[in-house]
Amino acid sequence: MIEVKELIFSYSKDKQALHGLNFGVGDGEIFGFLGPNGSGKSTTQKILTGILKGYSGMVSLFGKEIRNVHTQELFQKIGVLFEFPYLYTNLSALDNLHYFSSFYPKDQLRDAEKLLDELEFKRDFLKKPVSSYSKGMRQRVSMARALISNPKLLFLDEPTSGLDPAGAILFRKIIEKERQKGTTIFLTTHNMLDADLLCDRVAFISNGTIAALDTPRNLKEQNSNHSIVITYLYQGRREIQTVEAAELKVGIPFMYDELISIHSKEPTLEDIFIQYTGRRLS
Amino acid sequence: MWRGFFHLLKKDLKLMLSSKFFILTFASLILYSCYINFIYVNLDQKIYPVYLYDPQEKQVTISDYIIKVEKREDFEIACTDQYSIGIDLSSDKPIIYMLACGIDTIDHYRTIWAWAVLSGNVDGKAELIGTNSKEMKSRREITAEFLFFELSAVGFLGLASMLFKEKQMGVIRVHGILPVNRVMFILSKLCLLLLSDLIFTILLTVINLGLQHGIAVLPTVLLQAGILSLIMALVGFFCAIRLPDFKQFSLLYLVMAVFITTPVFLVGQTGVSWDWIFYHPMYHLFTEMKAAYFSIARNGLLYYLACLGTILLLFLAAYRTLTYEMAKEG
Repeated sequence: MIEVKELIFSYSKDKQALHGLNFGVGDGEIFGFLGPNGSGKSTTQKILTGILKGYSGMVSLFGKEIRNVHTQELFQKIGVLFEFPYLYTNLSALDNLHYFSSFYPKDQLRDAEKLLDELEFKRDFLKKPVSSYSKGMRQRVSMARALISNPKLLFLDEPTSGLDPAGAILFRKIIEKERQKGTTIFLTTHNMLDADLLCDRVAFISNGTIAALDTPRNLKEQNSNHSIVITYLYQGRREIQTVEAAELKVGIPFMYDELISIHSKEPTLEDIFIQYTGRRLS
Repeated sequence: MWRGFFHLLKKDLKLMLSSKFFILTFASLILYSCYINFIYVNLDQKIYPVYLYDPQEKQVTISDYIIKVEKREDFEIACTDQYSIGIDLSSDKPIIYMLACGIDTIDHYRTIWAWAVLSGNVDGKAELIGTNSKEMKSRREITAEFLFFELSAVGFLGLASMLFKEKQMGVIRVHGILPVNRVMFILSKLCLLLLSDLIFTILLTVINLGLQHGIAVLPTVLLQAGILSLIMALVGFFCAIRLPDFKQFSLLYLVMAVFITTPVFLVGQTGVSWDWIFYHPMYHLFTEMKAAYFSIARNGLLYYLACLGTILLLFLAAYRTLTYEMAKEG
């Protein structure tokens, strides 16, 4: 679906934003693009969405180099959720969706009201102006705007920001549902939980280069010290010991009366990100 | 492509309605028309008062325009306002006595007027100026000036306020990923503003010149109004997209008003004469507008080619700025 080779982009002579990125995203995959502010995430997404030109290297979407694709044709196939809910605040949710969807062919559109229902948007507000909505409600309308054209490729920038925990869970479900339909999702986020729960693969970008790219599980396994934390009772006392996983081949390698819990000690994606880039995400 | 254009047009119309743009324009129309009909045409613009000091009673016949003064002191006091003119007949040769107003051309007219009055060449009954009555001449002049002001200032601000609203909401960036041509985004705004300006022009002209005179000049006036409207809308579009906030835009607007439009009004309205004004593009637009109200053909093909070139260049600049804005960081 997406193929990027030796992607280089500079805003000016002394401000190179991307230093030769290489990655690919398969059909129906959720690909996480993780990096701190100023790392080159937004620049990459803008190039992929055809907003930013003047790059060197190769960027191909739907099997075609995007330089050679008519942008209107490309825009019909993609949906974009921006980090901030950009909407006409003088119009209602429905008017916004009707307006933004009016540029797409009618046969590819989804029903605006049904979509908002799926996103658990309060029906009372359907015809009220967006200026009266909370941040979470605006984010729901923005998500509906990204989905209304039934895109084959979805770019999501911080989809769960501004949502309460229940809203964030709902959004993850919606994203998962989109993937099941076969939509490819390019997810840009700071949120490690989103990346961990949703992404098939993640790429860590730092200073315009990809520091690591793999599945969250592989990244964790490769960077794990494979230690196990065991909590147990021995002679009436509660004890905790950390052992190497290999030591467990022969059973618990110490004396105990009763086991309370056994946990693997895995690094989080954030730990791995710091390990690879030397920087925190936020 | 055109389906998208009509949706943009509908959205822009809603934005204009919500920003009270039409109310502002309608209020301007009423204000200008009331001023023209109830104040301006009733102003009897007084000609320069001429004072005569003639202690020896040399002048036998005296025009109605002359005010005779008996005392020398009164004569001198009467002529100290940079407006009045005194004729001193106390010596052998008549002497013109006046305080220079600072503009050579006007002082020259004052002198000629005083001599004409003294020699009895002014009967005070002139009513027709060209083919116009005095009132119609005033109406045409002031309507042209108000229209020029409205199109170059108010319309410019109206479009900018609408664009700043869209910028604040961030929706301009959303259009960067929609399957709609960016040219259409600019065109829809231009079309609405142009339409609104042309309707304003028709109403202002017909209300203040009357139906018969108004309709007679409308084709040329509408052409000039269309050119000015497009140029100002594109300048407004470019500035509103390029500048980060409305405060900076207002500052630029003030600079434009003071340094760009003021010289044009000064040269067009007063006796100020600057050779360099010929190179001022707004001066040509202003004089063309006035000429249109008097049905006088002035500049030819070169003027219209220059206007077309300017509009195309401004459109290109607006397009590039819009593309830049869409790609900006969120």
